[in-house]
Amino acid sequence: MPERRNPRKITGLHIGLALLLFIVAIAVIGPSVSPYEMDATSLEQRLAAPSAMHWLGTDEFGRDVLSRMLNGARSSLVMGFGATLFSVLVGVPLGLAAGYFKGYTDDVIMRVIDVMISIPPVILGLLILSFTPPSLWKTTLAVGLVYVPIMVRLTRSVTLEVCGEEYVQSARARAEYNGYILFSEILPNAWPAIIVESALRVTFAILLGAALSFLGLGVQPPASDWGLMIAEARPFIASAPWIACAPGIALCLTVMAINLIGDGLRERLDPRLNRSRA
Amino acid sequence: MTASLLSVRNLCIDFVTGQTASQALRNISFDIEPGRALGLVGESGSGKSTLALAALGLLDKEARIREGSVTFRGADLYAMTEDGRRALRGDKISIVFQDPFTSLNPSLRVGRQIAEPLLVHRGFTPQQADAECIRLLEEVGIHDPRKMMRSYPHQLSGGMKQRALIAAALACDPELLILDEPTTALDVTVEAQILELLRQLRATRNLSMLFISHNLGVIARVCDDVCVLYAGEVLEQGPTHRVLVDPRHPYTKGLLASLPQLGGRRHRLVPIPGRLPHPSARPAGCVFSDRCAFAQGERCAQPQSMAAQESGHDSRCWRSLELAGQGWRAATAEQVPPAPRPARTQALPMVTVQGLERTFEVGGWRNPLARLLRGRDADAAELSRVKAVDGVSLSVGAGEVVGLVGESGCGKTTLGRCLINLVHPSAGQIRIDGKDLVTADARARRAILKDAQMVFQNPDSSLNPRKTVREILARPMQLFGLADSASELDRQVLELLDTVRLGAHYADRYPHQMSGGEKQRIGIARALATRPRFIVCDEAVSALDVSVQASILNLLADLRDQLGVAYLFISHDLAVVSHIADRICVMHKGRIVEEGATETLIAHPRHPYTQKLLSSVSSIEKHAGHAAPMPA
Repeated sequence: MPERRNPRKITGLHIGLALLLFIVAIAVIGPSVSPYEMDATSLEQRLAAPSAMHWLGTDEFGRDVLSRMLNGARSSLVMGFGATLFSVLVGVPLGLAAGYFKGYTDDVIMRVIDVMISIPPVILGLLILSFTPPSLWKTTLAVGLVYVPIMVRLTRSVTLEVCGEEYVQSARARAEYNGYILFSEILPNAWPAIIVESALRVTFAILLGAALSFLGLGVQPPASDWGLMIAEARPFIASAPWIACAPGIALCLTVMAINLIGDGLRERLDPRLNRSRA
Repeated sequence: MTASLLSVRNLCIDFVTGQTASQALRNISFDIEPGRALGLVGESGSGKSTLALAALGLLDKEARIREGSVTFRGADLYAMTEDGRRALRGDKISIVFQDPFTSLNPSLRVGRQIAEPLLVHRGFTPQQADAECIRLLEEVGIHDPRKMMRSYPHQLSGGMKQRALIAAALACDPELLILDEPTTALDVTVEAQILELLRQLRATRNLSMLFISHNLGVIARVCDDVCVLYAGEVLEQGPTHRVLVDPRHPYTKGLLASLPQLGGRRHRLVPIPGRLPHPSARPAGCVFSDRCAFAQGERCAQPQSMAAQESGHDSRCWRSLELAGQGWRAATAEQVPPAPRPARTQALPMVTVQGLERTFEVGGWRNPLARLLRGRDADAAELSRVKAVDGVSLSVGAGEVVGLVGESGCGKTTLGRCLINLVHPSAGQIRIDGKDLVTADARARRAILKDAQMVFQNPDSSLNPRKTVREILARPMQLFGLADSASELDRQVLELLDTVRLGAHYADRYPHQMSGGEKQRIGIARALATRPRFIVCDEAVSALDVSVQASILNLLADLRDQLGVAYLFISHDLAVVSHIADRICVMHKGRIVEEGATETLIAHPRHPYTQKLLSSVSSIEKHAGHAAPMPA
């Protein structure tokens, strides 16, 4: 017999949520508890290894890595989640429309998307950001825009598949409103794929944001950001590995938390995996 | 007894997942003698395919043989090494799988795929292999083998593919051919051709066969002996003409009573109640006891052993001998005489279709550039057009059941979908209850579609997996404003469930928590939710097992009688259509070639295509002889 899920059992979803809560808490209270100013330089303490004074060591300007990490959490998270949210909000409706209405709607949406995909993401980011002074929210939107095509394509392919199912045909056979079919019949069945993809996208968004920051188009040094920290630590990866490690591990934990939540949500949303029988 | 080719003795197979083991097959014993064909028949989940794979030595990792043996010419299949089994599979035993559409690799030429075993197992040179390949293809009735060898699978029809697969299976000159539902995916006329081919091959090659099918008619046509499989056990086995004509086991009797017969219109089917038990929850004694109409007393609660009937005919039921000659129908409690139908008034046609056409354009139809490059002449444009429905006129009276029969690709589904506006016709007129559907605007169309609904084919795809039954049934009523309040809506949902003979507790179930037959009932309930007067049933019972199919057919017939709903009943299965329809239309290549009252059409088909269809149907009467008259 299939075993019943123990309601008390700690699942991946719980671990992921706890981890994410912790990381968000760091992002919120981090700046006020950090031991040093994030941009306080100290020439004597350049590239110092982790010690009692500097728990996570210092970078090439003698700045405290722990403080920079605590301060950088906010922009990384905003960039990752903001960009992903933007790409979902824009991409999913477009993908649904393209897959459901087909014909000219599909053609127009997909050709525009093809053009967007043909431009390398960093160039696209450059294009958007080079006309106006960079800022966090602009970088976020730029990164989000880069991921819109991926969301559109994914949603469209899932929609095409679901549209072939007989329950969609049945809804059309009773002259159901398009809005209901799109958002109540198709979308719930497209969520699992979208959630999995989004969880992955958050990671890439943080890294792309970092790349843009590195090019001077995102977070402006000396402000801190995990991606920026990793980029700056690159030349010292052999001599002072701790500079890259700290934000790297933080990034890894964030990604893990998001993936755990993504998987957990996917299972929760799927009645087939919910074992309780009526 | 001659030395048997394949001998299965007391075979028990468990599926082991994690810590738990469930019994897939129990105490299976049978023999296939050289040159004989054994049929394995059973509903889905009975263990047919597991048995076929076991006979090939191709079991999955989860499958464990707990007891028993499979011997081929005296050699135990599971005592030898994997290499030994592989050699045997290449050389002596071949298999043809169910679906010819996916069994061939789409990116390799057919010739290469047939020649492969010749090169690998028989060490032919490529020239020899080609020559042999041509010979094999000729043997399976291909007229132009060279052309076939150069073709890719997508260039061939389903029947051609199945012939090619049979040729590939014969390449190593096997002694035993295992066929797993070889004709289930094919049209009835193609099925008849393939079965005829198999009969010839048996005669010329002295080939033995293990033939697996859910279709009793096909088994009757091909096999000398038959094993009836249920819940992993053989319930009855013996010569085909004995088992199917004078069945001794209640299950076999039940299967036969569930089967609609050509021309047996209005003869109420008697389905087997309940459903196949889950492997972990089988009854302790006789596996069929919980559904058996003949169950009686203590002895049914004990495991049954095979009781010999006549020579070679065994039945796993202690009452077998006593039940000889008794039909399932006689024993079932449901003795409701079919309610007399209200006399149909011919006055008002519910649906009239006139000169309906639907063409599909093949190729990049939205790309005028491509057409420009292909040439300006009208012929080119004409070539890229396929007429799926080509000038069809049809009418369905109020409360009438019109059957639409035809093979795949004849346009019957397109026609059905035109009637509920899922496909827009290219030309012609559709009137539903006098209102024109084609020219109607959005608002009028919705009003018309309230009267015309559809029951879909596939119970696994026709219900949204993320909605409960309550949500699924409530939505159409909300859409058309058929309920004023939430409580009223809820009451109507329960009423609908009751109409399709399901309990109120089904309202909170999700589709995955129901069996195929239950899902199909919900599909019917959803179609009824708008209180339509006309329902298109597109292959509505084709995906179901025989016993479930019978109960759904009974339900549809009852609903027609109670609610006066008219159906357009689309199916490829003539027996099913002739069971329920008042009138039958035969469709061929987009046109209706013959139309007539069911009895007349079945008894005296006039169009050659109808005659061909009728003669292709495999039925038990035709191939195993008539059953003893069963008291109705």
